[in-house]
Amino acid sequence: MSYVQRRRFLWTLFLIGLVLIAIVANATTLIRLPFYKLVQSSSAIARVRCVKAATRLEYGEVWTDTVFEVVQHDKGFLPSVIVVRTPGGRFQHIRSHVDGVPEFRPGEEVFLFLTGQPGTQFKIVGWTQGTFRIHTSQRSGRETVTQDSADIPVYDPNQNKFTKTGVKDLRIDIFLEKMNKEIARQAL
Amino acid sequence: MPRSTTMRRWAATGVAFVYCLWSAIAARGYAFNQIVPDLRQPSMLTGGSACPIPSHQLSNPGAVAVRWSTALRSSPQTVLTADQTSTGRLNEIEQVIQQSLGIWTHVDGTSLTPASLGSLTRVTSATACGTDGVNSICFDQPDMAFTPGVLAFTRVITADAIGEQVGSSTASSEVGQILDADIYFNPSDSNITFSTPSALSANPKSYDLESVLTHELGHFLGFSHSAVWGSMMFPFAPASGTFAGVRPTLQQQDAPLSDDDRTGLRNLYSDPLDTTYIGSIQGRVLPANPLSLPTSAPWVTGIFGAHVVAVDVATGSVIAGALGGWSCQAPGPVQFDGNYLIAHLPVGKSYAVYAEPLDGAVAPSEVSNALVTVCRNATTDPGWPPAQGCVVPPVNTQFTTRVRPED
Repeated sequence: MSYVQRRRFLWTLFLIGLVLIAIVANATTLIRLPFYKLVQSSSAIARVRCVKAATRLEYGEVWTDTVFEVVQHDKGFLPSVIVVRTPGGRFQHIRSHVDGVPEFRPGEEVFLFLTGQPGTQFKIVGWTQGTFRIHTSQRSGRETVTQDSADIPVYDPNQNKFTKTGVKDLRIDIFLEKMNKEIARQAL
Repeated sequence: MPRSTTMRRWAATGVAFVYCLWSAIAARGYAFNQIVPDLRQPSMLTGGSACPIPSHQLSNPGAVAVRWSTALRSSPQTVLTADQTSTGRLNEIEQVIQQSLGIWTHVDGTSLTPASLGSLTRVTSATACGTDGVNSICFDQPDMAFTPGVLAFTRVITADAIGEQVGSSTASSEVGQILDADIYFNPSDSNITFSTPSALSANPKSYDLESVLTHELGHFLGFSHSAVWGSMMFPFAPASGTFAGVRPTLQQQDAPLSDDDRTGLRNLYSDPLDTTYIGSIQGRVLPANPLSLPTSAPWVTGIFGAHVVAVDVATGSVIAGALGGWSCQAPGPVQFDGNYLIAHLPVGKSYAVYAEPLDGAVAPSEVSNALVTVCRNATTDPGWPPAQGCVVPPVNTQFTTRVRPED
């Protein structure tokens, strides 16, 4: 398969995925957000690198604040270092947890779809849905992107079957092209 | 019982080494929220072991008390009922809560019974949920955790030592005891409504309140998500207006649960008097070539994060699954040796077991709480004893398995 054919094939898969996403399927805790809605709901999108995480008790709840370095801006304005807040974490002798909330390891790079304002903690749109992890192939060095919720089965009532969808192992240049097109489309 | 010598002969990309232990080993399920006791505390408060313990409610009579907030958004309504009178609405919602609780307390072979339930009380405050030591369900409490697309969630607070307390909770008498569990329904999104079963057909764009609540109550009881498709704790439910589940009946009040949910519950809340669900299947998932294990984590000696499933040979039904990859013997810490354990299976049946990577219906991120919490160390917890610290390796999704009947 030539490069052009492969590229066309991946594009087709990606677009089919987006169409299926738009059909139905919701999480028990999450509502399925089509890609365009993820972009629309985000005040900022960026490639970030996890630096560290800390938990704190605020407003009577335990929160995890994860510090990220911004590697690349894709939408909105972000300072060079941001703090992303997610519910749960370990604080003193208790552990508060919420299933479906993404967790990050220091050093790992992800694209995050964020809401919030500079100077405050950001939140991840749709939790796992707004988290796209970057994998680098040890063999080729090629980067691919996988959405945390990529393997959510989507129920198609017309065909009465489940189909997996989402962004999974997509080449980063194709992902960026798609995302930037959507951002540009919404900016018009 | 399979012999390890048989398995060693296998030169494949993955080998499941299975043997059955028909014993009453109390085990940790693959999808429970776990907590490692705080070993910096005196051992009389922690047991002195770094082995993780599942989060759980106490199940003695009257222990599981819940209150629910009767503050309901009215314009627009977020909880839809068939009865539109103010008293009727509350009664209808309360009936759903009682029914959902009943689903989890009518599983045979567990110590969680209807008698375990304490009072279901009402509170008028809209902000009843919080770290106050009282289990609460809130339908109209905005929370900073909500982002676009979040429908509902459960926040569970667990003690990692005896004697811990939050708010007005009683001091924990066990490590892993849930001190507070609150269920939040999103009240702020005008596109989200929840319908009681009676009102669902008239509101086809609404979410089934009973299903969402029953799933959240699973978290409330200590479950994480399950990777078994069709289980109540599977992370994702059908879309609004597409309810296809089963309702509880008087004859079978736990009908909406799958066998996987029931087996999980028997693990979490085992009944010491039970004589039916006492079978266990234990084994290891090992690579044929040890060099294929990740070099970045030399302490890993088996496949970590494999989804191991037990299937009833007679019916083909999935009875239970487990997230394999580790074992723990006191005083710990966890060893990443590829071990798995599926316990509390009904005896007298034959099972087939298979292992699969978590790259299918459920991704590692969806069950992360069950995986990332099995270790603590000096980095995560300053002052942690080095000999009992460990680091959770990445989930191994780069393996395939071959199955071969025993010789």
